[in-house]
Amino acid sequence: MMNQQRREFIKKTAFGVLAGFGAASGLVPAFSLEKTILPVWDETPVSGKIRWGMLIDTRKCKKDCQICVTACHHEHNVPHFKTRKDEIKWIWKNSYKNIFPTATDQFVTSDVLNRSFLALCNHCVDAPCTRACPTEATFKRWDGIVAMDYHRCIGCRFCMAACPYGSRSFNWQDPRTAIHDPSLAYPTRQQGVVEKCNFCSDRLVRGLQPACLEACPEQVFTFGDLNDPQSDIRMLLETTVTMQRKPELGTKPSVFYII
Amino acid sequence: MKNSKLFWTITIFSFVLFGLFNLFRQGEAETPKVPAPPQVAIDSTKCIAPADSMRANHMQVLYKWRNSSVRTGHRVHVAANGSRFEKSLNTCLGCHDNKLFCFNCHMYANVKPKCWNCHLSPMETP
Ligand code: SF4
Ligand code: SF4
Repeated sequence: MMNQQRREFIKKTAFGVLAGFGAASGLVPAFSLEKTILPVWDETPVSGKIRWGMLIDTRKCKKDCQICVTACHHEHNVPHFKTRKDEIKWIWKNSYKNIFPTATDQFVTSDVLNRSFLALCNHCVDAPCTRACPTEATFKRWDGIVAMDYHRCIGCRFCMAACPYGSRSFNWQDPRTAIHDPSLAYPTRQQGVVEKCNFCSDRLVRGLQPACLEACPEQVFTFGDLNDPQSDIRMLLETTVTMQRKPELGTKPSVFYII
Repeated sequence: MKNSKLFWTITIFSFVLFGLFNLFRQGEAETPKVPAPPQVAIDSTKCIAPADSMRANHMQVLYKWRNSSVRTGHRVHVAANGSRFEKSLNTCLGCHDNKLFCFNCHMYANVKPKCWNCHLSPMETP
């Protein structure tokens, strides 16, 4: 175990030195558009090997805290429109009754009723949105992420009707008019496409964890590979009782909640 | 001459730093939660194909790049001569850093590609 970790570290440090040289000698472009962070994945990933998942410990989540929401929306240039109709959201908070409307428990504790619950795209295994999409703009990736290929989206909004969790938002207006603090880390969208949480696939490819997880001061999130029995998330799922949103629909969400 | 001195100073300095880092890291190594991507030597000092063929075919190249990187996750382009590039607009624009590189021709030919509807165009970056 220890040896493996040290190997990883040495590999990384050695690469850091090389990268330093690269920048000094002009090999790596010092271009500040959407930042390219090397190294990148070399091979076509094996489909189905990894299944990314997230566990949200709602006991630790502070009711009025919006830190993760702000971090995500800033990083991904999610526009901030004031009206309900135009609202775009990748991750948001709501009450127990709204997030788990079909939960059958009768006497929910007042503590739970008072908490706020995070919601985001569940990256469902059997994702109804991918079946509804006529252009395959919404598709299941090799690593379990339900991704949007914005290049292909025609804005028909079938996926929004299909998603049982309200995870998707439509750009009725040009989103760029409502991005007040643009980030160079990710492109924007354009008017007429649907958007949603991408499980930070842009960060995973750089070896980083999701932005919400990194921003949260209360360690509410656990992120990891659901196919790996040794991962933190699987260990927690093994030892804790968890819930999913509308499990009865059979979409098999990859986002789990500790209540 | 000056360059080779600088080179050696940097080399030696890096190795010393590297050593120090490892000393301090002994106790507190942590497992990375998300696997670090394997390293690929990426060279952005030359074009991926001769200028003539790029002038005629860059749209097809970009189309293939966006499909294979977004949809299959294959993010490295291997050129005919074996050199490797990340499939990214940044790979192109890192070298062609004249802000009007795309716009000059596109305006002349009156073509309106949609790239910059979402991606930040060179005109919009500092
Ligand atoms: S939560 Fe909605 S948008 Fe996300 S994968 Fe499931 S059906 Fe699709
Ligand atoms: S709005 Fe876009 S992503 Fe959604 S179903 Fe239509 S084409 Fe697919």
